[in-house]
Amino acid sequence: MWQKWFSVKGKSLFSIAFSLHRLTGVVLTIYLCMHLAYLTSIRMGKEVFESFIATTVTPQFLIFDILLVLAGIYHGVNGLRLILHEFGLTYESRKSILYVSVAIVLIVWLIASYRMYTFVMGV
Amino acid sequence: MDVEFRIRRFDGEKSYWQTFNIPVKRGMTVLEGLYYIKENLDGSLTFRASCRMAICGSCAVKINGKPRLACETQILEIGNSLEVEPLDNFKVIKDLVTDFEGFFKKHEAVKPYLIRKDDNYEEPVELIQSPKELHAYYDFTLCVKCGACYSVCPAAATRDDYLGPAAITAAYRFNADSRDEGEKIRLALVCGDNGVWRCHFAAECSEVCPKQIDPAKAVQKIRFKSAIETIKSIFR
Amino acid sequence: MKVQHDIVIVGAGLAGMRAVIAAAEKSKKLSIALISKTYPIRCHSVCAEGGTAAVMREGDSFDLHAWDTVKGSDFLADQDAVEFFVREMPKEILRLDNWGCPWSRTEDGLIAQRAFGGHSFNRTIFAADRTGFHEVHTLYERMLMYPNVIRYDEYFLTSLVIEDGKIKGLTAIELKTGDLILFEAKAVILATGGAGRLYGFTTYSHTVTGDGMAVAYRAGVPLKDMEFFQFHPTGLVPSGILMTEACRGEGGYLRNKDGERFMERYAPEKMELAPRDVVARAMWKEILEGRGIESEHGYYIALDLTHLGEEKINERLPLIRDAAIKFVGIDPVEEPIPVRPVAHYTMGGVHTNANCESPVKGLYAAGEAGCVSIHGANRLGSNSTAECLVFGRAAGEKAAEYVLNADYSHVSNEVYKAEESRIFDEILGKSGDENPYQLKKELNETMDKNLWIFRIEDELKEAVKKIKELKERFNNVEIVDKTKGFNTDLVYTFEVGYMLDLAEVVAIGALNRTESRGAHYRLDYPKRDDENWLKHTLAYYTPDGPRFEYIPVTITKWEPVERKY
Ligand SMILES: Cc1cc2nc3c(=O)[nH]c(=O)nc-3n(C[C@H](O)[C@H](O)[C@H](O)COP(=O)(O)OP(=O)(O)OC[C@H]3O[C@@H](n4cnc5c(N)ncnc54)[C@H](O)[C@@H]3O)c2cc1C
Ligand code: HEM
Ligand code: SF4
Ligand code: FES
Repeated sequence: MWQKWFSVKGKSLFSIAFSLHRLTGVVLTIYLCMHLAYLTSIRMGKEVFESFIATTVTPQFLIFDILLVLAGIYHGVNGLRLILHEFGLTYESRKSILYVSVAIVLIVWLIASYRMYTFVMGV
Repeated sequence: MDVEFRIRRFDGEKSYWQTFNIPVKRGMTVLEGLYYIKENLDGSLTFRASCRMAICGSCAVKINGKPRLACETQILEIGNSLEVEPLDNFKVIKDLVTDFEGFFKKHEAVKPYLIRKDDNYEEPVELIQSPKELHAYYDFTLCVKCGACYSVCPAAATRDDYLGPAAITAAYRFNADSRDEGEKIRLALVCGDNGVWRCHFAAECSEVCPKQIDPAKAVQKIRFKSAIETIKSIFR
Repeated sequence: MKVQHDIVIVGAGLAGMRAVIAAAEKSKKLSIALISKTYPIRCHSVCAEGGTAAVMREGDSFDLHAWDTVKGSDFLADQDAVEFFVREMPKEILRLDNWGCPWSRTEDGLIAQRAFGGHSFNRTIFAADRTGFHEVHTLYERMLMYPNVIRYDEYFLTSLVIEDGKIKGLTAIELKTGDLILFEAKAVILATGGAGRLYGFTTYSHTVTGDGMAVAYRAGVPLKDMEFFQFHPTGLVPSGILMTEACRGEGGYLRNKDGERFMERYAPEKMELAPRDVVARAMWKEILEGRGIESEHGYYIALDLTHLGEEKINERLPLIRDAAIKFVGIDPVEEPIPVRPVAHYTMGGVHTNANCESPVKGLYAAGEAGCVSIHGANRLGSNSTAECLVFGRAAGEKAAEYVLNADYSHVSNEVYKAEESRIFDEILGKSGDENPYQLKKELNETMDKNLWIFRIEDELKEAVKKIKELKERFNNVEIVDKTKGFNTDLVYTFEVGYMLDLAEVVAIGALNRTESRGAHYRLDYPKRDDENWLKHTLAYYTPDGPRFEYIPVTITKWEPVERKY
């Protein structure tokens, strides 16, 4: 069953968008759990929490963060696209809206990545 | 020119791939290719077909991963090797033949017929419908029940009781017909647990529909209507 | 396995489904079974494009429709049936309207009508150029309303059980499992459609193989007027897909290789809209006389729609445009479509009276499978979907009335056992050195060559000989697929067997009929001969080939006159 959600052979961009949305949804949920676990660590004291944060705000972790942000942005923007259509609106221009969404995702992601890069690298 | 047909076969127990090479002329369709194999190479190859003019909906199969009507697909448009498989999301009975019983049951379940209070079998009267009113639903009448949409639908892959794009389109077609009075009844049927709210708008159904009738649009239209009705009912 | 129903209807085309609805309307208590070898909406009727004739508006009259039909039939139609038919038709159109059929409309919302060949009034009702498709879907959907209808989809009829001149039931194979099922019934309606696949170049669906006619014929029911086959003027070259008559109804031209509208010379008044037999012969003559257009698939005639304009073509003939583009890569907006006459309609069928009753008690036939005879020697366009509606209903009602006062009949187990062994031991189990596909191919070639538009004694004799030879060879057929479930190889073999029987009836009937009438044209007897041949042919089965009898034509108002257009 679940394999079929991600089989993209012969499928259009719409199906791929669906597969990615589902994938990113799951990734975000897992991340959310991890994130909550992280935040909970403040109960063990400010030092522990800061040391946790320090390990994650590193160049090694940057690549994961950037991907995570991609997942988040994609899920968010695509989610808005879905909400729009699922209200029965703008069905006819669904192709262009899909392209525009992807463009927005990429632009926002690139800007965000650059910001994160400069922040972590301290430049 | 010789073209390679790789066909996914199933004899009731095991499934396997078999390859046939057949001579192809310009204009030859995939269905003619299948008939060529059946008539000349292997009489046991099993598939459905009837009209060979893309109107009966019998012959939908997966060709190179995409569901299409075999009878309207030119072989040479696909290339010089192709893979033919039965539709996904349907139980395979034999070779390319899949079980459509459930699919037709779902169509039946949405009451796809005009519902009118003054229905009179003995003395029918001419109902007036302007060309504009006709156009409002006409495109949705063109569904040939080929199952292509259902076969690519992720919601149908999740649960096999999901009504599916074709059945919901049928419901919409009648709801949008100016002669009909059964919209409420049908909305109740298609907005339940196995209905429109299971759709994730992968919109693949509209991409593969050989009749370009946009089943995804019908689903979203019904959704919108259902949402409005629900909101209204809160304030009532 | 054995099941029991009051009425069993075989064939879920327009006629079969209309019969189901009629019977179900008659009484909610009846248990009605509908058997078909395809799902109902995959029947051949979905291919009908042009429209359905009915008298609806001021200026038209029942007598005019009846006269057109009778004249079109070359006076072989039974006129009492024709009169009944034209009177019942308008209501059928309205019923379909009330049941949801998306008829094309006029600006003020009324049901629209258009011109059709052989009709002297614009009386053809249509739903774009997908009329049959919409009618079938409408009937199918309506049928879902009746709880006392039980569908047996994908069941294949193999035999009728008739005892003492009375129908007792029938046997059919459930394709999915391969099991033989015995249906016990008080009444059976055959609505299995025509026999078009006798021909190779044909507009028919692959599934139209005359099964019901052949099964009835073998069970001793006579077939009527089988030598009359209609050739439609415009079949798409090379596949035979129909380019509806509406192309010409909407104003299309036929042109030969010199670009000439040659119909001027054959039917100066009606031109392209003369009846089908006239146009088809004219086209074939043009081709024979070397004025066809050459192509890799043989000579053809050009069907020119270019002057109609894109808008009109899209509005009125969308399917035609789509098909021409998809199947031959020609856009009719820009280029003429290559066409040639093509086998299109089986005028003959199971012999019935105007109430659809066959000589066997409780057995009815309707639609193309039956022959009430409203089409006689040549049917008019859009009269056959109409026939399916009117006579489908008549058959359903008559059967329901009959059944309400009839008792169940029991079929003995022996009958079932015998049929089971015939199918699974004799046919499926047999070994031999012939294959059904080869036989079918040779049959098609023979029919396309010797029983085509122009017929002549020598060629007919040759055909009869060839068909007998094929029948002989059929006894030696071996089926490759020995499995039980969904055995299309077995079904195909059955169909070929049926078609061979029917081909024999067609060929000998055509050989016997030494005149030219309607669609049956003999080069050696080019005149109609009312003195000797104003009569219906009846063919009875005997093990050594058909035995023929003739019965008179019913004439009420219209004495035969010369047929001119
Ligand atoms: C391309 C084309 C276009 C046409 N256009 C027009 C038109 O514009 N206007 C018009 O009036 N007429 C038209 N006709 C003619 C008309 O469509 C047919 O005469 C009519 O549809 C026949 O309907 P039917 O119900 O008798 O049979 P069909 O629709 O052929 O149905 C036969 C049914 O019998 C079933 N069946 C057959 N054999 C078996 C078996 N052994 N066991 C179980 N079930 C079986 C089949 O599954 C099917 O359900 C057209 C025909 C063609 C070929
Ligand atoms: C900008 C914010 C967000 C928007 C607009 C959004 C939108 C959506 C929408 C519309 C859906 C339904 C998609 C469908 O019908 O298939 C969805 C599904 C989902 N979302 Fe989000 N979402 C957002 C944030 C998140 C976050 C932060 C998480 C993680 C915690 C998340 C997890 C999921 C999951 C797991 C699903 C189910 C996936 C599926 O069914 O395919 N979403 N989201
Ligand atoms: S909606 Fe389209 S794809 Fe789906 S069954 Fe109908 S015709 Fe086929
Ligand atoms: S054979 Fe009828 S749709 Fe392809």
